[in-house]
Amino acid sequence: MKPMKMPAVPSRSALACIAGVLLCLLAWPGVRHGLEASMTRHMLVQYSLLMVAGWLLAAALPGRWLARLNLWNAHGISGLFAAALMLAILMIPRVLDLALVDSRIEILKCLALLACGAAIRLSWRPAGLLVQGFFLGNVLPMMAVVGNLYETSPVRVCNAYLLDDQARLGQMLVWMAAAIAAAWFAWLVRALMGRDAAGMTANDEATKPATH
Amino acid sequence: MFRTALLSVMLALAGYAAAAWLTHGFQVWTAEGARRLEVALQPVPSPAVRIDGPGIAPQALSQYLADGQSVTLVDFVYTRCQTVCLAMGSSFQQMQRALQERSGQGGPVRLLSISFDGGHDTPGVLQAYATRLSADPALWRFVRVPDPQDTQRLLADFQVVVVPDGRGDFEHNAALLLVDQQGRLVRIFDYAEQQLALDYARHLANTAAPSP
Repeated sequence: MKPMKMPAVPSRSALACIAGVLLCLLAWPGVRHGLEASMTRHMLVQYSLLMVAGWLLAAALPGRWLARLNLWNAHGISGLFAAALMLAILMIPRVLDLALVDSRIEILKCLALLACGAAIRLSWRPAGLLVQGFFLGNVLPMMAVVGNLYETSPVRVCNAYLLDDQARLGQMLVWMAAAIAAAWFAWLVRALMGRDAAGMTANDEATKPATH
Repeated sequence: MFRTALLSVMLALAGYAAAAWLTHGFQVWTAEGARRLEVALQPVPSPAVRIDGPGIAPQALSQYLADGQSVTLVDFVYTRCQTVCLAMGSSFQQMQRALQERSGQGGPVRLLSISFDGGHDTPGVLQAYATRLSADPALWRFVRVPDPQDTQRLLADFQVVVVPDGRGDFEHNAALLLVDQQGRLVRIFDYAEQQLALDYARHLANTAAPSP
């Protein structure tokens, strides 16, 4: 019998519940078709929400599973690598068209996005600033380049979507990449300043007798 | 750390395999590119959906296309279109002129415009449309698929995706479809590749037609 920590258990099941509700909502035909009717909603809203659901599911995992997973995910490297790979593949325009006509591809797409969100949740903290920076340094430029291609392409890259929709998605992908980069950079600066401040006070303490 | 490295290598291989499958060995990135490549690799037999049109008795499309003698260049249209479709009409008009200039030389090449708006484009409407485009019935015919289910089947078989653009028009992956003497879709050309499509059609008509 594992020892029960009272406060952790309800929050975990609550997270699983939210994830379950979100998944049911996304799988409900009306919502799914509504999201997939537009290229922008398909890639920005549905993709993001599926990743959020995966993120919540991973947060609800019990501790012993985490310990086992961490053996294969030192410094969050394999998790973030998997997420980068999946995002790269899911941004290929053919995926969007295929997902609409082939239910096997649709299921694989959703599973990949769930796994992607879960992998980021499990790997982000262990990754540390360096690996996080490497991951974002790969994913964000890729997102911006794909966005730029969508925005400037004179032809439709998806048979199921209109050109103005594609251009809007492209523009928003570029903005989103820039926003994530800016947010992470701000957070990085804050972390570094915090570290410096801590270092400085320690330094002051250490150097005080020498300077005086 | 060893397990993380091992998992990362396996992920890289899996990602490579998935991307290679999705893009036909990194050749195509869009569903339209994949459609054209797949047709070129593996001809698609035309379905036996019922068609009718001005001067064409109700019959199966496969039967009409597989007359054993002529090569057919097919495009999909709807007569209500007032924008891009007029440009496409002129593309077929130019091809008709080119065919008229070289009539009697080599195997027969003919043009066929199929309407996917069967409810509106009755044979009478198609006749008026053909007259407006000064189509020569010896070379260029117009048909519709009266039954909506048949229309869906034809569009699915030839992977034509029709999207309403919200302004009363339809957007579709318009292209020149080349059908051989056996009624198989063998190549798909862009509208910009009109000359190439015509040359290829002539080549096909000459190689496979019995010499007089």
